[in-house]
Amino acid sequence: MVQPIQNVVIVGGGTAGWLTAGVIAARHQGRMKSGFSVTLIESPDIKIIGVGEGTWPTLRTTLEKMGVSETDLFRHCDAAFKQGARFARWTTGAPDDGYYHPLMLPQGFHQVNLVPHWLEKDAGRSFCDAVTPQGVLCDDGLAPKTIATPEYQAVANYAYHLDAGKFAPFLQKHCTEKLGVRHVLADVQTVNQSENGDIKSLSLKQGGEVAGDLFVDCTGFAALLLGKALGVAFKDCSDVLFCDTAMAVQVPYETPTDPMASHTISTAHSAGWTWDIGLPTRRGVGYVYSSRHISDEAAADELMAYIGPQGKGLSPRKIPIRSGYRETFWKNNCVAVGLAAGFLEPLESSAIVLVELSAKLISEQMPANREVMDIVAKRFNDVTHYRWGRIIDFLKLHYVLTRRPEKFWQDNTDPASVPDRLESLLQLWKYQPPWFFDEFDRLEEVFPAASYQYVLYGMGFRSEIDPNDNEFSQSLATQCMHEAMAMTRKMRAQLPKNRDLVDKIHTYGLQPI
Amino acid sequence: MTNIVALNTVTHRDLRVQSAASARYGDAQRFVPVIVSEFGLLVPHYPIFFAKDSETGSFYCGAMLGIDEGENLFLENFDGYRPLNLRRGPFFTAGSDIAIDLDHPRVDTDGQPLFTEAGEPSDYLKNIMGLFRDLRPGLEQTKIFIETLMKMRLVEPIDISLSFDDGTSRQLDGLYTVNQDALKKLADTEIVDFFRRGYLQAIYLMIASLKQIPVLARKKNARLAR
Repeated sequence: MVQPIQNVVIVGGGTAGWLTAGVIAARHQGRMKSGFSVTLIESPDIKIIGVGEGTWPTLRTTLEKMGVSETDLFRHCDAAFKQGARFARWTTGAPDDGYYHPLMLPQGFHQVNLVPHWLEKDAGRSFCDAVTPQGVLCDDGLAPKTIATPEYQAVANYAYHLDAGKFAPFLQKHCTEKLGVRHVLADVQTVNQSENGDIKSLSLKQGGEVAGDLFVDCTGFAALLLGKALGVAFKDCSDVLFCDTAMAVQVPYETPTDPMASHTISTAHSAGWTWDIGLPTRRGVGYVYSSRHISDEAAADELMAYIGPQGKGLSPRKIPIRSGYRETFWKNNCVAVGLAAGFLEPLESSAIVLVELSAKLISEQMPANREVMDIVAKRFNDVTHYRWGRIIDFLKLHYVLTRRPEKFWQDNTDPASVPDRLESLLQLWKYQPPWFFDEFDRLEEVFPAASYQYVLYGMGFRSEIDPNDNEFSQSLATQCMHEAMAMTRKMRAQLPKNRDLVDKIHTYGLQPI
Repeated sequence: MTNIVALNTVTHRDLRVQSAASARYGDAQRFVPVIVSEFGLLVPHYPIFFAKDSETGSFYCGAMLGIDEGENLFLENFDGYRPLNLRRGPFFTAGSDIAIDLDHPRVDTDGQPLFTEAGEPSDYLKNIMGLFRDLRPGLEQTKIFIETLMKMRLVEPIDISLSFDDGTSRQLDGLYTVNQDALKKLADTEIVDFFRRGYLQAIYLMIASLKQIPVLARKKNARLAR
């Protein structure tokens, strides 16, 4: 008998759990009347980790599809705009060393690769400033849209900075009130499996049992279902990414009207880097470092020195982190999403985007019945493995081009620590700048070739180019760079300050159209 | 700048205000906020749209008087209806009182007196006071009208591209109108409710007013040819 997949059970009430619940419930709303259900079991005691206050522009589409109002997101999650990241002192360590990884693609990215043209006429302007307005918008502290721009639409591409502690309850309210997700507050005591290893049901400590057809493990580092019950091993990648500790602190503004950066500021230090994220009511700052290269005390000193006088009296919270991911993400009728699937240092805000992509894949590929589930699971595992691999490559890219002298940084340039694929790409890129056709052809690539371009040429990498080879696309390239300049002028004149717009959204709201 | 003070019989006794339509009196406006009760009077001349206030992003209704910024194509040889918001000139309401912007270009030593010899409001001022009796509640009614239409998803953006004989073209952004497909899908009870509230009439006046776009474009074309 064919057993249809009707009941999805998600365990874990953090960002991953509620986002997954929302994405699946929104996509399958129509089937609810014929018995399809989404249940989320949340432990009443476990505190959510609240990983990631930085997000990716995909979150706009994800939330819009869930039917969330963007105005509500700003009002309830202490959200602000994010237009990318600035990497300070990563290359040489000098005070003026820095580059942007903006969220806008280079102008005309789908028609022409501007890298060789920029390399040919490198007139002292950074790659970012030559091809997109967004670095300048960040320098000026401008918002990526105006109060008259509809919800989720952009003048300049954007994501959010938000308070992860407020985001999960916000999603919970929406999922339970608008999308019909059942919320069970209880602890999972036993995972009941059938002979083939499938999860049949979960026995709850508070009594009762929840049966299901598909189980989503969003239990964080604990990986209660996939890791503990199904025994899927964790694949450590600390041989590539050395950071194993984070020290986080919330920093108040001097005055409530202080300017608020519309990008993440990521600054390199002696044995790692700090994130600095501007929310409307506070900054979130943290030092991600390698405990093999610096002591906690010395790290705390570096963090407090970075924060300066505003850090007086604050005590940072230490969080151990472990970079790596599960060897399999979907086994039997159980799939892991979020920290249960794996963790990587938050250098490029990859945590929430991976949750979104996984949830989207599960909801869109929702197996019709148990018989075809293994086929879907294999696809899911292939794609997700590919994604983790590419993200690790991309994170490592930020380290391998450094010229900083400290041991942590020099160790990072050791070829033995560089994944093979990245190593061969770096070799190729010496003669052929990355573009989206050659290497990055997967559906929904997390980091497109444009991201590699911004990091590579931002860090001083140079590809050898043949000016004669530029001729065939010369006029288009010139036109695109002129367009980027014209857009920069226009947007600078049009866009308000980041904080001013967030304040206005609180007062007036954004229009849905 | 502006210098808005409450109108006072004593201090403003000799004040005069120019009432004629003219660019030098501040009428060179391309887009003017209007209220629902004016729609019937506007529709023979102007297209009526929804647009967003640039400060707050909220919607208002406006009549389009010109194509380019600061252009009013109804200032010469025109004796048709002028929107209340242009006719109110330098006057504002401050609670139930009337206030005046003393720095407004209409405030002059010439023009219409505000008070009679006996210190009573002049016919012109009475006219203005009457205008505000319409305008004040009209703004609130219009706001509720827009909110209702927004809630029912009856508002949609409209793209207008105009090409002129001199070879130039204009792309008009930031304009919204009634979504006629969504309108057709309203339930019978909603239609009856809209009819009783006068919304159905307002909606069809807005739709009809779109026919003024090509008329306006022809006026502009003639202007460009001059």
